[in-house]
Amino acid sequence: MAILSLHDVCVTYRSSGKDVHAINHVSLDVEKNESLGIVGESGSGKTTLIMAILRLLNPKSTTVTGQILLDGEDILTMPDERLSEIRWQEMAIVFQKAMNALSPVHKVGKFIGDLYRVHVPKATNAEIRSRIEETFELVNLPKRIYDLYPHELSGGMLQRVSIAMSLILDPKLLIMDEATTALDVVTQNQILEEIKHLEEERGITRIMITHDMSVVASSCKNVAVLYAGSLMETGPVEKVLVEPIHPYTQGLVDSFPTFATDTHEPLKSIGGSLPNLADLPKGCVFAPRCPKACDICFQTPPEMKEYPGGRRAACHLAGGASHEE
Amino acid sequence: MRQYIGKRLLTAVLCVFLALLFNFIIIHAAPGNPIRILAGTDSVSEEMVAELTTKYGLDSPLYVQFFRYVGNLFKGDMGVSIYTGQPVAKEIMTRLGPTLLLCLTSCIIALVLGTLLGIFCARHAGSLLDTLLGSVSYFFDSTPSFWLGLMLILLFASTLHLLPTSGMVSLRAPAEGFARVLDIMKHMVLPSLSLSLTLIPYYFRIARTSVIQVGNEDFITTLRAAGMREDRIYRKYVFRNAILPVVTVFGIQLAYIVSGSAIVEIVFSWPGMGSYMMTAITRRDYPTLMGIYFVISVSVAVMMIAVDIVYTYLDPRIGRGSGK
Amino acid sequence: METKREKIRRAFRGNPQLRVGMVMLLVLLVVAVFANVLSPYDPYKLSNDLVSAPSSAHLLGTDHLGRDVLSMLLYGAKVSLMVGTISALIAAVIGTLLGGVAGFFGGKADTIFGGFINVFMMMPTFFLILIVVALFGSGMVKVMVVIGLTSWVGNAKLMRAQALSLRERTFIKSAEAVGESKLKILFRHVVPNGIFPIIANTTMGVASAILTESSLAFLGLGDPNIISWGQIIQNGKAYFLSGWWICLFAGLAIIYTVITFYLLGDGLNRILSPKLRGV
Repeated sequence: MAILSLHDVCVTYRSSGKDVHAINHVSLDVEKNESLGIVGESGSGKTTLIMAILRLLNPKSTTVTGQILLDGEDILTMPDERLSEIRWQEMAIVFQKAMNALSPVHKVGKFIGDLYRVHVPKATNAEIRSRIEETFELVNLPKRIYDLYPHELSGGMLQRVSIAMSLILDPKLLIMDEATTALDVVTQNQILEEIKHLEEERGITRIMITHDMSVVASSCKNVAVLYAGSLMETGPVEKVLVEPIHPYTQGLVDSFPTFATDTHEPLKSIGGSLPNLADLPKGCVFAPRCPKACDICFQTPPEMKEYPGGRRAACHLAGGASHEE
Repeated sequence: MRQYIGKRLLTAVLCVFLALLFNFIIIHAAPGNPIRILAGTDSVSEEMVAELTTKYGLDSPLYVQFFRYVGNLFKGDMGVSIYTGQPVAKEIMTRLGPTLLLCLTSCIIALVLGTLLGIFCARHAGSLLDTLLGSVSYFFDSTPSFWLGLMLILLFASTLHLLPTSGMVSLRAPAEGFARVLDIMKHMVLPSLSLSLTLIPYYFRIARTSVIQVGNEDFITTLRAAGMREDRIYRKYVFRNAILPVVTVFGIQLAYIVSGSAIVEIVFSWPGMGSYMMTAITRRDYPTLMGIYFVISVSVAVMMIAVDIVYTYLDPRIGRGSGK
Repeated sequence: METKREKIRRAFRGNPQLRVGMVMLLVLLVVAVFANVLSPYDPYKLSNDLVSAPSSAHLLGTDHLGRDVLSMLLYGAKVSLMVGTISALIAAVIGTLLGGVAGFFGGKADTIFGGFINVFMMMPTFFLILIVVALFGSGMVKVMVVIGLTSWVGNAKLMRAQALSLRERTFIKSAEAVGESKLKILFRHVVPNGIFPIIANTTMGVASAILTESSLAFLGLGDPNIISWGQIIQNGKAYFLSGWWICLFAGLAIIYTVITFYLLGDGLNRILSPKLRGV
């Protein structure tokens, strides 16, 4: 059963000049308890997608079409009271720069407590404190953090506080936006392990936004590849990253050096840069940079097609296209 | 925290001392012999000049004069005005009150109004009102306070006869009680308006930018994603964080505000230290000049330290001991 | 890669401040340079029309000596521009030097600098200017130097921040490794690369220098031999209840000029940080 379902979601930023098409016809399902990693370059629309799912985009300047179903309910058409209810209780978010994930002038405990009180207004201070301390324990944080200010904590501790904060109302869906990018590798791995453990224990489904393939490879069940606001490929991690269907995914995988990479060769990367989102190309959005592009790629946008093993990809050349060794 | 305040105090003392020293040197290096000015004409007998010079201690070497002066300062003696013969300290103190009254009132009005307007415009950024207020702010930012004062007098006092044109109290003023306070307040409207209107744009800009920046921070998005109501977010979290740069700027601007008030005092014949300074300059009244500058330096230093202390309470990252 | 033209166009996009500021500056420059051609009268010429209201003969009226206000304002533009620019430039040079040295060399130089700045910020500099100008004479040069000597703090802080961050850049470190003297690196690499925010700040400094100069002139401490807007207001003060046009138009001229430089400085800042655009 899909806990989160996106059907043909489009996000457009309206501006006085041209409209910017940040997300184009994205459809994907996130199965319960199957963590999903959304991968893409900077500017591919990852954060916009998250903001759309959380319904935090400014309606005065953005248009969101399509459906976003959380456990069957459409977030986009939900009445405001219901939206406030599900916020944080059903889905929560953890941000990247943990330093500014908390108010610098308020103590950690006070901030999280305030968050808690939005949904449990009758809770007493003692109840709130013990609940927060419980959550701290889950992420291996000492209780005294409650009385400290954010600037008194290290990067790793701050990240853990952010995670604890997101778990405080036992959400079903947890979205992590580049949450470990700012950490050193050792701490990053530690935290990823702890998160995976928590997910299993508490039945949380995680969506992880990142540009770091290795994080996805080591901690997610499924992966979705996003480029310039369009989905290129989705599927189980071990299949997509080992045998990518889409040339863009192939490019991403190739650009990550491994221990087997010949150190005398220059690093591979995908040439060119992102298209102008206000002026999208006619055909496949990746065609200008694709090493395998041919005529049809520049004429018509490819449709998302199903492939064996629960995989999907949007490429004219798939199912017959050879992949590099 | 104590360490931080201690450092600021040291800076303040150093500043006042240096200001005094610098002041002293400049005043005594300037052309124009005060004795001759006092005497009125150049054709005064040499004995007369010599006598007066010794009387005012102007014949000792400069450094001796300086240390004698500093020594006296500790006793609360700022010397005697060359012009009036009265103790400088007494004269200045009667003028300190009106200056502080005008300064602080204008400051607070500018700070409060500027910040409120800035917050409002930040929340409605891009709207017509925002653009309008921004342009008006630009205009007042570029306006000389003395000119504004003159125009306000023209409009409200002279043409509309709503408010008095100058001074702090009316000629037939009630001597005390609430009526006197009211009278003073009536006289203070135009001067403090001239000063505040030119200060507001600065706080408006800082507050507006600060609120917009804080509004884009992750923790604000988190609060929204958690379902907290917009005005609670603004009141408790945006405001408390955005106010910090405004307070910082306020502290930095204090010296500037004091200068601005001096000019306004002159336009409105407000009996404060600014207008007094002008008279002292024309008369080359050294002791009075030194005294005024000293008192102003000390006042500014005291106010800056007060603002610093307030800031350490607002921002836990500064001053308070941190513990990991 | 962008061509120069594309770069310029990008600087102006979404930057109405810069565009409007440039237009206003152009008008000012034309007025300043061609004042003698544009003025209907010789501004020094006295006439018998004392304190006469704006009319077809004298578009902005006359002052207490019968001089044409419009002509005086046009001639005054040159003075204001010159005083403002030179004072701001002096402040820029001092600030860049002190800030650059403090930021680049660090250590003791920086600590002294920090203390110096703190002390300077506490000083009511306008009173200092008053005293200096009043006692030492009020020639234009003195006024410009004094204003420059008291308004360098902002530039110094900016340059220091720039020097601090540039110090860590690879191209600076390689210059050091190659053996270039530190002073040479400071002047040849650090300053030119970090100068842009100081340019923007100095532009705004011109605006505040003009305000300061007009305040001095208003207090009777400006150069008595030249026509300056503040001085016009000072002269007009005695008559302003009956001859309000003298003060009014001179003030408007000051406001116009100050707005011009504020807009320019603001626009320049926006080129540097595109995030500010549209705000």
